[in-house]
Amino acid sequence: MKEATTNPLARSWRDIPQNVKPRAMSREGRRRVKLRALRIAAAAGVIGLAGWGAWEVTAALRSQGGLPGAAGGAAPVRELSLSTDGVLDKAWLARTLALPPDASLMDLDLEGLRARLLASGQARSAAIVRKFPSTLAVSLSERSPVARLAAPGAGPGDPALLVARDGVSYQGTGYDPAMTGSLPWLVGESAPGPGGRPAPIPGMGTVAELLSRAQLEAGPIYRSWKSIDVSRLETDGEIVALTRDGLRETFGAQEDFYRQLAKLDLLLDAAAGKPGEVIRDINLSLGGQVSVALAPVPAPVPGAAPGPASVSGNPPSAPSPAPVLQFHIN
Amino acid sequence: MSSSHTFIGAVEIGTSKVSVLVGQHTGRELAIIGRGECPASGVIKGTVVDYKAASDCTHAAVEQAERDAGERIDFVFLAQTGSHLEGFYNEASASVKAADNMIDRDDIRTVCELAMSKELPAGRVVVRHLRRPFRVDGRLVPTSPENLVGQRLEVGYWTVHGQEQRLADNMHVIRGFNLEVRELVLSSLASGHMVTTPEERQHGVLVLDIGAGTTDYVLYRDGAPHTTGVLAIGGTHLTNDLGVGLRLTHSQAEKLKLRFGRALPHTRDKAEKVWLDGNYSIGDRQFPRHTIEQVTSARFWELLEVVRRKLGNAFSPETCPGGVVLTGGTAKLPGAAECAGKIFGIPAHLGETPAWIAQDLRDPGYHTALGLLYYGINSHAERAPSGRRRAGFLGSIGRLFSST
Repeated sequence: MKEATTNPLARSWRDIPQNVKPRAMSREGRRRVKLRALRIAAAAGVIGLAGWGAWEVTAALRSQGGLPGAAGGAAPVRELSLSTDGVLDKAWLARTLALPPDASLMDLDLEGLRARLLASGQARSAAIVRKFPSTLAVSLSERSPVARLAAPGAGPGDPALLVARDGVSYQGTGYDPAMTGSLPWLVGESAPGPGGRPAPIPGMGTVAELLSRAQLEAGPIYRSWKSIDVSRLETDGEIVALTRDGLRETFGAQEDFYRQLAKLDLLLDAAAGKPGEVIRDINLSLGGQVSVALAPVPAPVPGAAPGPASVSGNPPSAPSPAPVLQFHIN
Repeated sequence: MSSSHTFIGAVEIGTSKVSVLVGQHTGRELAIIGRGECPASGVIKGTVVDYKAASDCTHAAVEQAERDAGERIDFVFLAQTGSHLEGFYNEASASVKAADNMIDRDDIRTVCELAMSKELPAGRVVVRHLRRPFRVDGRLVPTSPENLVGQRLEVGYWTVHGQEQRLADNMHVIRGFNLEVRELVLSSLASGHMVTTPEERQHGVLVLDIGAGTTDYVLYRDGAPHTTGVLAIGGTHLTNDLGVGLRLTHSQAEKLKLRFGRALPHTRDKAEKVWLDGNYSIGDRQFPRHTIEQVTSARFWELLEVVRRKLGNAFSPETCPGGVVLTGGTAKLPGAAECAGKIFGIPAHLGETPAWIAQDLRDPGYHTALGLLYYGINSHAERAPSGRRRAGFLGSIGRLFSST
């Protein structure tokens, strides 16, 4: 009989390793191993997806202000950061956002702030991002004006609206006055009311194409334009440019603007060498033909000066009937 | 795998056939929901000698059982037999530490560890420690001695050990199907648990599981296994003897054994002859029935004599009032119980499963597999009492990873 002796327990059958190599397994055994691996992979995938989903939900709640501000360690907004491709500055941004002085970064309604920025019309798109702990970063993409538009009921000294290529009119801010003063007036189109949201002007893309082509290819002609009449754009497909000299130049919206501008330049050059008569009307919308209306040179009136640009948007009065010549220019 | 059910496979890789039962265990109840059977190959006397052949037939039986059950087996209880299994008895005693001589858990653990700490030869591993009842100051304690008062605590273990490589071969056959062996149960304990009642085990009973290649025996005393053993003798020896004696092929001898073999000679007329096939085909021959019975009974008698000798002093008719219970395929030999009764000097009968076992599972060929499930579950629960499974999704995920 044994009395208080201690030997380690002998090895048991449980100490025998049970694993076998795959080649020692049957086909069903190998299939089971693969199935188990698939199950493990699927389980890992489910866990991963669940984790990713939880993370996404948390991120979404944070971005929508659904979580308490303390969750992100947010502080009151100390700095506004602006990135833009235009002329707007931080002062405009601060005025437009009008943030409360102690507004916490997490408490801000980013969608509401973005709507405020876009309401001005000058900003085409806006992105607002919280940068912890206290910076609100705004990234803007601005519209560029191509013409001016008189606001309804505006007087001569009132600021004009600016019209962008996409037809949106807005109160321009931060532009060089010389640049805005050189833009032609847009007539024949009603401006939105003071309380209404600016509605895009139809056909403005075509007008902007003519203006940009003229500005790029025929600078003197562009600079001579005082106003652009688009009243017949939709019905007749014609754009009428009125120069500061009272010349009426009609362009066909369906024709190539480059060719029309080239014809106009040729005619103006040809007319410059003919004293005694001035051209009052040129119609370039007739395809291969150009209609030119001539008028005798008016006698100079003492004390008369060239009229200032009308800010009322009313185009100058139409010239009196004059002889009409038909040119054939290819 | 269902979260509340465990599907356990009971696999017995025998010399003549592989039996598989699928049990659905709910923690409280066990239901047999599938079974599979396949003729064995690559196994001789309970030992795998051809891994590929043994794997093929075992996996076929497991697949069949899974198809029958409609469920996948989670893990396996494997029956173990073979002549390499041996046993020895080792006991230890310890003085009770407490001043008031009340036995506590530390005393029990100490004496149990002492009794189990016996070194084994190289290459041998313990298959099972079978504890015999405790004794407190020489007084038998059938259950736990905790909180009893005494000065000396004694316990003994019948330790069954086997050759590591042969055990590994059996387990690798199961693992080749990507199933884990959770319990390795001696075939004798499995079948003995199934064909005896607790009362019989308490009073003392000897169970003989006579298979095709081996004979497993277990002697119960005081409600616990007292001695176990395995003989590399079985029904195939009877067949071989018939084949040699009558100059027959193995299959012809097997046919004669099943039809006319007996454990005790019964035919008095030495001139009575029986046909090999009985269909008057070419090659059909006649053999003396008396000779067949003499050959089979002589070998069967010898087999039981060997068991008696192996048991030695552990067995005596006085300590085994429950008698001898025979099970296994060879035990179906007519006169087997009568023969056992004569040799052991006590009543003997064929083992029967409890009445609640389904009729189609009462064949002695399923006794071991049935016992595997019931004995294995008890043993598994005793080994891991705190192994309560986690429920729910996280539990499933945990089991998925832990099982790999």
